[in-house]
Amino acid sequence: MDEHHRRNQIFSIIAVACLFLFLLSMHLYADDYQIRILNNIALFIILAVSYNLINGVTGQFSLEPNAFVAIGAYTSALLTLTPAEKQMAFIIEPIIWPLSVIHVPFFLSLIAAGVVTAFFGFLMGFPVFRVRGDYLAIVTLGFGEVVRVVANNTQTITNGPLGLKGLANYTNLWWSWGIAAFTVFYIARLVRSSYGMAMKAVKYDEAAAESIGINAFKHKMLAFTTSAFFEGIGGGLLAHLITTISPTLFTFFLTFNLLIMIVAGGLGSITGSVIAAVVITWGGEALRVVEEPIRLGFIEIPGIPGMRMVLFSLILVLVMIFARQGLMGTREFTWNGLFRKIRAWTHRTAKES
Amino acid sequence: MDFSLIAQQLINAVSLGSLYGLIAIGYTMVYGILRLINFAHGDVMMMGCFFAFYGIMIFSMPWWLSFPIAIVLTAFLGILIDRGAYRPVRNAPRISALITAIGVSFFLENLGLVVFGGRPKGFPRPEIFGGIYTFGDIRFLGLSIWVPLIALVLLSGILFLVYRTRVGRAMRCISYDMETTRIMGVDVNRIIAITFAAGSAAAAAGGILWAMKYPQINPLMGIIPGLKAFVAAVLGGIGNVVGAMLGGLILGMAEILLVAIRPDLSGYRDAIAFGILILILLFRPTGLMGEKLPE
Amino acid sequence: MEFFTVRNLTMKFGGLVAVNDFDITLKKGEIVGLIGPNGAGKTTVFNMIAGYYAPTSGTIHFQGKLLNGKKANEITRSGVARTFQNIRLFTELTVVENVMIAYHCRLRSTFLGAALRLPLYRREEKQMYEGAMEFLREVELEDLSREQAGSLPYGMQRRLEIARALATGPQLLLLDEPAAGMNPNETQDLLQLILRLREKYRLTVFLIEHDMKFVMQLCERIQVLDYGTTIASGTPEEIQQNERVIEAYLGEG
Repeated sequence: MDEHHRRNQIFSIIAVACLFLFLLSMHLYADDYQIRILNNIALFIILAVSYNLINGVTGQFSLEPNAFVAIGAYTSALLTLTPAEKQMAFIIEPIIWPLSVIHVPFFLSLIAAGVVTAFFGFLMGFPVFRVRGDYLAIVTLGFGEVVRVVANNTQTITNGPLGLKGLANYTNLWWSWGIAAFTVFYIARLVRSSYGMAMKAVKYDEAAAESIGINAFKHKMLAFTTSAFFEGIGGGLLAHLITTISPTLFTFFLTFNLLIMIVAGGLGSITGSVIAAVVITWGGEALRVVEEPIRLGFIEIPGIPGMRMVLFSLILVLVMIFARQGLMGTREFTWNGLFRKIRAWTHRTAKES
Repeated sequence: MDFSLIAQQLINAVSLGSLYGLIAIGYTMVYGILRLINFAHGDVMMMGCFFAFYGIMIFSMPWWLSFPIAIVLTAFLGILIDRGAYRPVRNAPRISALITAIGVSFFLENLGLVVFGGRPKGFPRPEIFGGIYTFGDIRFLGLSIWVPLIALVLLSGILFLVYRTRVGRAMRCISYDMETTRIMGVDVNRIIAITFAAGSAAAAAGGILWAMKYPQINPLMGIIPGLKAFVAAVLGGIGNVVGAMLGGLILGMAEILLVAIRPDLSGYRDAIAFGILILILLFRPTGLMGEKLPE
Repeated sequence: MEFFTVRNLTMKFGGLVAVNDFDITLKKGEIVGLIGPNGAGKTTVFNMIAGYYAPTSGTIHFQGKLLNGKKANEITRSGVARTFQNIRLFTELTVVENVMIAYHCRLRSTFLGAALRLPLYRREEKQMYEGAMEFLREVELEDLSREQAGSLPYGMQRRLEIARALATGPQLLLLDEPAAGMNPNETQDLLQLILRLREKYRLTVFLIEHDMKFVMQLCERIQVLDYGTTIASGTPEEIQQNERVIEAYLGEG
């Protein structure tokens, strides 16, 4: 189907190599703060792209990522803590068997986080996809709250409000960016496959999709479970990046951040989600200046803590009012598209001169 | 469980339930007309509390002046939100309106954190509401009696507005068919503004009562009551004002009952609402008094 | 075994009886028309057959299997495809993608296999593409395969929707007002197209149409609905002379 297949493959390999070299140089020369931002960016790419699969590609507007990330984070953390550490941490009530004795390497804990979260997503999907639209949003939001309440109350599994502390700092640039690259690769391929087309068909017109034999419920479930799998892995990475987790970490606030990203990037565009995750995570850091005092000569303007979130929520509303399609709409980056643009541009400049 | 304990819990349940009901009225009215879940509704309620709080603390107003002013200001805030955020996306896909509502909700919460500060503030409880009454073994706060009474009065007012006035008739027309109503010469935007005003006023009243009950306020206080009130609205049949109050009462009962029967599970109290929500959507998506859910 | 049989099909919305005791039997390879004034319940019949409405009562059998209670997608996969009165294409996808999607329900690749582009999926994708182009040639849209479906003119969208329905591999094709909005030339082309497709794919066609000339030329049998009730059925000649049919139509206009 594509006459430029070989060329595009080569460019993709070059792009990956560039990313690798960039990360290597950051790994060698960047300070802790910069590395943390880079890790955050990768993490948000994973979360935003997988969130977009269900909300943007399949068009099922849901608000549960904080629940999935929480499940993934707890699963992974409980598996990497050693039995001795767990015994120390659970001071109010001891942790239940078999969690008390299991201890697995980081990578396995991430896989487990993905699988367990996907399983929860699968179970959630049955009641959740009986409704659509606004109701879907509220029910999934409710699930997020329920997961948080449960995490707060199941002392023998999650250590309740105390949370889990002193996790090993496993998440480094290679883990976070490696998994981010895989997530983008996998989901982009999925979206281009006929399963992805069927998901889009469900988004555009569910009745028409059913009329050509597409089981809408099944495809919603596939998208939801896949999304949960990657959100869960993201949760595992998050837990071993900040090394302390507790139920308060997984409020709707997290979902809101992801929502801004997928909306600003364009609901349905993987490219848009990636760009938005980078820009907003980075921009969020850059915007810290508004929360710190600024000195202009002799005058000192006091910083306003919390101002960033005010700005972000304002941005979300403004995007909805003035630029509903977001940055990319439902378009995607492709090498062919890029070369077409370049050719058109050179053609135009050649004509003008 | 003896009689006095049951009576005590019943009073608590009715009081809590009417608060959910009051907040739910705003959801149900806006949803009935615009098919929009006004995510910011709980935060509008929070703003009402802060208006009342500052009326008393900064402008030294007596409560009987500060509370009505706060309610009026909140009504205007509701109109402002509709005008500034919801009206521009009126003809956009419904999901855009929902995202806008989530944005407005976060905006109010974070603006509250910046302007009011995150630390909880003690909310004054006027003497008339604060007294403790005793009947035999039953002891309750005067507020617990006031809340259902005030709720009843406000509910009657809103029912009057919806079913006995021209504005109310226009509201009901819009909920059937906005375009036709517009063609019939009704100023649709004005009617919608009035709906937001009425719903926000009810929320402010509910919020102030809530604030006196607990008695403290903070910028994030609207989230949980807001969500629960939404569940109450769905439970009662969204779009139905009486249903919203009924849903609120049932939800209040369910919560108090859980805590009374199984105190060890009281940590799960906030999850009940969503448990109920999932059950309704599975088994009776129309709610108790509602019509068929829109697709 | 009858090819397709509907018995006592009834649909009530609240107190309103939209379709009352509808019966029909189709033999394999027939082209049968369903006509009647606006609001007679024709589309409701289609929606029940295709699984969009659950009938209040009655049975629908297709090749000996009961269709009632099956979901729309299952009915399509059992060999009954449909088009819609108000064309429902995936307007933001390309023309060829619209037809390719219709192959998806018969895909053998698994979810993982497709996302990872395993050899089986790559083969199947090629088949999907080539099959879709084949159907586009059939409806003379192959040159526009990369256009956005929503950008096509009306008549072409109708043909694309037929191609999409065909790609699900149906034996029974339900067409809901296929000629609506077409000019006389387009209508004639459509007539030839339907006849050609029936021969080539051994289709049975059941269609709703308001264009009487088109129906009379194309259909071998016609059934007439009025207020949800069958008032006549027979050959086009019989229908044209039927008093009750003339009355129903005159009463309307």
